[in-house]
Amino acid sequence: MGKTIAITGNTAAALGAALSRPKVIAAYPITPQSSVVEYAASMIADGKLQSSMVQVESEHSAMSVVQGAAMAGARTFTATSAQGLALMYEPYFRMSTLRLPMVMAVAGREMTAPETIWSGHQDTISVRDAGWIQIYVENNQETLDMIIQGYKLAEHKDILIPVNVCYDGFYISHLYEGVNIPEQSEVDAFLPPYKQEHVILDPEKPMAVDPMTPGNLVMKYRKSHLDAMQRAFDVLDKIDQEFGDKFGRYYGGTVEKYKCDDADIVLVAMGAMSGTAKAAVDEKRAQGVKAGLLKIRMMRPFPNRQVAEVLADKKAYAVIDKNVVFGWPNGAVYMETKAALNQLGYRVASLPVVGGLGGADISLDHMINVIEKLEKMNKGDKEQECYWLED
Amino acid sequence: MARDFITPKGDEGIYHIDTASWRTYKPVMNKDICIECGICLTYCPVNSIHKQNDQYIIDLSFCKGCGICANECPKKAIDMVLEGEK
Amino acid sequence: MNYIELLDKQPDLVTPGTSACQGCPAELSLRSTLKVLGENTIMCIPPGCMAGAGCVGWNFDSGLKVPVHITLLDNTAAVLTGIKKSYEADGRDVTVASFAGDGATSDCGFQSLSAAAERGENVIYICYDNEGYMNTGFQRSGSTTKGSMTTTTPVGEVGKGKEQQKKDLPLIMAMHNPAYLATLSPSHMSDFVKKVEKAKSIKDGFVYLHIFSPCPTGWGFDGAKSIEVARKAVETNLFPLYEIDHGEYKFTVQNKNPKPVSELFGMMKKFRHVSEQGIQEVQNYVDKKYKILQSLVG
Repeated sequence: MGKTIAITGNTAAALGAALSRPKVIAAYPITPQSSVVEYAASMIADGKLQSSMVQVESEHSAMSVVQGAAMAGARTFTATSAQGLALMYEPYFRMSTLRLPMVMAVAGREMTAPETIWSGHQDTISVRDAGWIQIYVENNQETLDMIIQGYKLAEHKDILIPVNVCYDGFYISHLYEGVNIPEQSEVDAFLPPYKQEHVILDPEKPMAVDPMTPGNLVMKYRKSHLDAMQRAFDVLDKIDQEFGDKFGRYYGGTVEKYKCDDADIVLVAMGAMSGTAKAAVDEKRAQGVKAGLLKIRMMRPFPNRQVAEVLADKKAYAVIDKNVVFGWPNGAVYMETKAALNQLGYRVASLPVVGGLGGADISLDHMINVIEKLEKMNKGDKEQECYWLED
Repeated sequence: MARDFITPKGDEGIYHIDTASWRTYKPVMNKDICIECGICLTYCPVNSIHKQNDQYIIDLSFCKGCGICANECPKKAIDMVLEGEK
Repeated sequence: MNYIELLDKQPDLVTPGTSACQGCPAELSLRSTLKVLGENTIMCIPPGCMAGAGCVGWNFDSGLKVPVHITLLDNTAAVLTGIKKSYEADGRDVTVASFAGDGATSDCGFQSLSAAAERGENVIYICYDNEGYMNTGFQRSGSTTKGSMTTTTPVGEVGKGKEQQKKDLPLIMAMHNPAYLATLSPSHMSDFVKKVEKAKSIKDGFVYLHIFSPCPTGWGFDGAKSIEVARKAVETNLFPLYEIDHGEYKFTVQNKNPKPVSELFGMMKKFRHVSEQGIQEVQNYVDKKYKILQSLVG
């Protein structure tokens, strides 16, 4: 069952991609993602990876190259972060709306200004409505595993939507952890070669890809895309099961429920901060507080039922956002969580929390403070002011 | 064929519009002067001129009546004639 | 087979009825190019006149008889790269080419073009240069000739048309060391066909073709004169015809007695406000550029 080695999140991302055997890779280096590109290049230089790699001059071209390759039927990979993702926005939207499956790893970083290169979810959150599936992971192992699972999800015939695997810059990208690297043969058995059937640029089967399309048809394409998004919950759950059965690691699919069943109060977190949240839950449980953690793994599409089911009967919950929504006085995951509960007819007292912007620390004390604030709340409490995790 | 509406694609036929209806003037070849050099074919933007039995002929199906053939003909063997006239 | 027979016999791979303007030489150039490149070709056409004229398609129909994709305005060379890389990985020889306007090429698409050329991707980047954003009503581009009236460089009490000289894309691309580069004019169709044939045969690097494409609608002349205007641009050295085959520069059409650019300026409305001094400035620029070219040909 493979071997376990200590590697960074970036190496895990590159290895996850390599194990998925992409035909074409195109990437442009950016902090904190750069070593993904370096590691992929070194694997190719060493003859360990058979992909064709294009050293592009920008992220805009990185996404454009893989879009071209995907239209020719190739499995592709790229990785980026923050400003790179922003520069990529134009072909990023195109990739998803042409329904070309691929996986892009994003080492999450704050958007500038103020000038910053450090961790955050603002980059991917800002493009959450550009048609991609977005999955946030907690550690290096999950980064590697989700890239492999991401291809299976993206290429599923009922989905055909590209996937972002979002891992926190520095906290995951640069820290070493023990990661089990599956055998290539095991991954090959889990992820067979991809054969694209829904669209192709091939002289043997001439067609126009993306002719001019009037609004009545644009409506049909958009609805089809949204319908496929909604199918992604079940498909990811099944993939998680199959992956777990094969590799022994289950992640919960769309959400991970940590000690939620009997909990009165629940933290809702996403990405690397989930580890800290779990430690806080454990510490408070030791004091007799019935706390739990709901880790949102899939942010797009938003697993409204899965989230609402967990939170519906709780006394109170808090959502810790490593991003903000300009226009609301809090973060995006809070807005979506609240909307999900409301959509299904539930009303639960809630606390919006923002922290960790630009690499700011989210400490164990922060998480415990959040739980203690929730302890003081009652089920019928109205909207709370956003709690900022400052020094 | 039921369409899937996954990726927008043109795979049913070849899109075209009736460009012949644009014409105000149509090219008419005077075969008494024509030297069958093929210059007209070379420059027709709409691919409306072809060689048949060693003679260049104009197919008006998509001819837009631009007049390039008449303008370029070294022998002035093509006249642009108002549609409806002989 | 001479070039006229070739143009007659090879299948026309473009829709018979495009909505390109009467006398549009870009339509002629696209048809002629594809007749030479043939059916084993994948074509990328960014937004512009040819895409707008229906050459990519509409609804569920295609505008070409070969695979075609409308790229973004600014990523054509990168998309060509990706398509080609995928086929190279499969060991399949497919011609991957673009047909992009000068705006998509010299302005916002230049970054990806420059990078693809620098990497030496084995694709054929074709630019048809009508000196502006003609599909959207003739806005100025970097490739617009100095003095030209455009909708964004209007002529008025103060405005005198475009104030800057034309960006010389072919020479800029020449400095990228492409495997093959050529300038083409639809007025010189024998030369045109030869160059596209050469482009198709290149298997060891990047190909850049730059086609001069006068626009009757935007520039203000009778569509019947499109070829005449294109010819005049060659005869005045405003658009000299040359090629660079793996570093070897060569004029493919000799121009012993160049005509003054004023002859070209007099043929269209976009220059009619330009003063003698303005014409002289363009003449000087054209002469200077030609000397550079001569020194490169050696």
